[in-house]
Amino acid sequence: MMDEDDPMAEIRASFFVECEELLEALQDGLQIMDDGEADDETINVVFRAVHSIKGGAGAFGLEELVRFAHQFESVLDGVRSGTIEADRNAISVFFQSGDILGDLVRAARDNDVADDSRIQGVMTSLTAMLGADAQTVVEEDVDDFQPMGLSLDLDLGGDNNSTPSLPDLPDLDTMSALPSTEVFEDGYTIHFLPDSSLYTSGNEPLHLLRLLREMGEVAVTCDTSALPSLSALDEEKSYLSWTIHLTTDEDEDAVRDVFDFVADLCTLTITGPGKPDPDMPPPDAPPPLSKDDIPATEAPAVTPASPPPAAQAPSDVHNSKPAASIAPMPAAPKKPAVSAPKSNKPRPTVRVDLERIDRLVNLVGELVINQAMISQSVAEAGLPANSAISEGLDEFMQLTRDIQDSVMMIRAQPVKSLFQRMSRIVREASSMVGKSVRLKTEGDATEVDKTVIERLADPLTHMIRNAVDHGIETPQDRVAAGKPEEGIVTLSAGHRSGRVIVEIADDGAGINRERVLQIAIEKSLVPENAQLSESEIDNLLFMPGFSTASKVSDLSGRGVGMDVVKSAILALGGRVTIQSNPGKGTVFTISLPLTLAVLDGMVIDVSQQTLVVPLNTITETLTLLEQDIRALGAQTNVIKVRDSFVPLLDLGFELGFRAPLGSYVGFIALLIAQEDGTHAALVVDSIQDQRQVVIKGLQDTFGRVPGVAAATILGDGKIALILDPVDVVANANGRTRSLQSNLQLAG
Amino acid sequence: MTAVLALQERLDFGAVTPLKSAILGYSGQDLEIDASQVTHMGTLCLQVLIAAANDWKQAGKTFHIISPSETCKTQLALHGFSPDTLTGASPT
Repeated sequence: MMDEDDPMAEIRASFFVECEELLEALQDGLQIMDDGEADDETINVVFRAVHSIKGGAGAFGLEELVRFAHQFESVLDGVRSGTIEADRNAISVFFQSGDILGDLVRAARDNDVADDSRIQGVMTSLTAMLGADAQTVVEEDVDDFQPMGLSLDLDLGGDNNSTPSLPDLPDLDTMSALPSTEVFEDGYTIHFLPDSSLYTSGNEPLHLLRLLREMGEVAVTCDTSALPSLSALDEEKSYLSWTIHLTTDEDEDAVRDVFDFVADLCTLTITGPGKPDPDMPPPDAPPPLSKDDIPATEAPAVTPASPPPAAQAPSDVHNSKPAASIAPMPAAPKKPAVSAPKSNKPRPTVRVDLERIDRLVNLVGELVINQAMISQSVAEAGLPANSAISEGLDEFMQLTRDIQDSVMMIRAQPVKSLFQRMSRIVREASSMVGKSVRLKTEGDATEVDKTVIERLADPLTHMIRNAVDHGIETPQDRVAAGKPEEGIVTLSAGHRSGRVIVEIADDGAGINRERVLQIAIEKSLVPENAQLSESEIDNLLFMPGFSTASKVSDLSGRGVGMDVVKSAILALGGRVTIQSNPGKGTVFTISLPLTLAVLDGMVIDVSQQTLVVPLNTITETLTLLEQDIRALGAQTNVIKVRDSFVPLLDLGFELGFRAPLGSYVGFIALLIAQEDGTHAALVVDSIQDQRQVVIKGLQDTFGRVPGVAAATILGDGKIALILDPVDVVANANGRTRSLQSNLQLAG
Repeated sequence: MTAVLALQERLDFGAVTPLKSAILGYSGQDLEIDASQVTHMGTLCLQVLIAAANDWKQAGKTFHIISPSETCKTQLALHGFSPDTLTGASPT
């Protein structure tokens, strides 16, 4: 059972976070390769990503992950060395391999089981790519390991189905190595004595020994001479030490890197090639296994605070890294001898527990509320605007806003990782339905609140699948329509009017409105004689239970989905709209708030209620004059705004606060912009203020309330509802004329 | 009579003390350590096993690892041991 205080758990968690970054780099590299813009460095980046994941996985004993990464890495090394051509098919296998690698990482993280059949399928493809080379490697391994009594038993994979008598991890690094006899003479001798603190800090020599084993051939001798009797044994104290003879074509830095993370938690000496250790047995002899084979005096005393030997200066440089980083992963196979500053060094970052950020966000929220209260008190005190306190308060407000923006930026993340996940969805979905589809992404760097990104993943996945399954035509139909066989799904993100707009566009056939309507009628979702506009027909897709698929596919067609998608997006304070062009394709547009924590709002009064309207939804405000208001039908009014007429809606009536008024002359109208570009005017009694408000969610307590997005606490401590004016408009009754006025008109 | 102690799957940091106590509970008896379920042989637990093997040898009792899982064998090998060499010096 994993203890929350288990230091190993923390380090593991950090490893998995790093894996996600490496997987992202891997996807980036593969995408560049797929786009035909790869150079040698691209291949190196891809290789290093896989290599680093393998290294870290080895440190944590994630054997399945190591095994797969190794095979993948071997193929990539073939690409690097030019023995394997990275053609379209190969890149497709690499993408799949990247997906599997991600699956294995997440399975290991979540203590889950990855889909073995898929893994084996891709493994087979990778092995096929290695072809004759793979065979050679295995044979070499057999030869190499036969003299090694201990190594012969190694079965790092634990895979009982595959050649159990052979090591499952033919070491990549020995593939291109010199003939083994030559290399062997240039091996390293490593004396490794863990301090007790190595264990208590959650490290494990087993993982280090495994990493060394992966670098080449090893002869391991353990010195047990310091062990006391069992009853005298201190369970947390280190008694064992090792002497390892390692034959590898890696340089000394790479060998040191294995111990990088524990350099100050052990006593370590590494004797490089050309300096044979006189104490070591001949390399081809069976390794000594008992304590008698190593003089007891060789084992240095256990000194918990003993500094690493001088030879480890380069390691000390690495040790300045945050403790949470995974040091045993050699990021670059061939690093310079001393850690010189790298030219393209990434900017330093620090990982922070999300909970801490959320606490900070909440505190800043309280600060905003507190600042509003002070503002209100100052206003009530009747102090002049040019008084020192008023000026000071202005600065305070500005600072509060800057702090708040900065805190929000901490939570913001580029949508890139989300988009990369969608790339996989497209690959899998298109292969399942036998279509050729490519995902293009735009605006990957657009930053959105982390929570929004997380909660957007599921709806986006479904929409992408729908685009592939329903949007893009079959290759035959596309060719017949004069389109390229390969369909394009474009996923883009950007900021617009203080919101994040995510668009999913396909270049397919567009919505077959006739069929959509017919199905809606068949399913009794709309009356048989319904007269619906194109937009209304498109929106039928979001109705619960609607499905146009004539057969249930693995992807979609289960009759659930788009309504769930819409609900999920609504729950995020977002909206989704459809634009479809027959023969050209369909665009789904998701509009989301930038953050779920604060918003700029207009504080308004209607029917003695104080409400907040998000500022970004208001395009303008106007005081209604008699000549602006025109009757439309028996119960509704429109107002003239320059050259157009806009429906007039009474917010008080729509929210159930009051009946329609006799006249709206002198009232204030907020012009609300909708996603489709149309406007509506919401009548309010008065505008109090524009200010930043802290969003307090209502969903958890009250569920979704129509027309209400959330609530906030105002400066005077009162609670005000934050409206979702677009929702109000969408569900508006529209009556703005009282019965009385109708009678007057009739009379 | 030979007692049998079945090792748990993960012999990690948290398993050291219980393992030591369990083995000490068989002091004076011939002991077989069933390692068939072992998926992680941590170094601290390995220390316990080696110390126990030494003690048992000195006491003239047998101490064997039986049915080691493949993973156990692999991880012992990484440490520089095999099930036999770990306890091989014990009298049979």
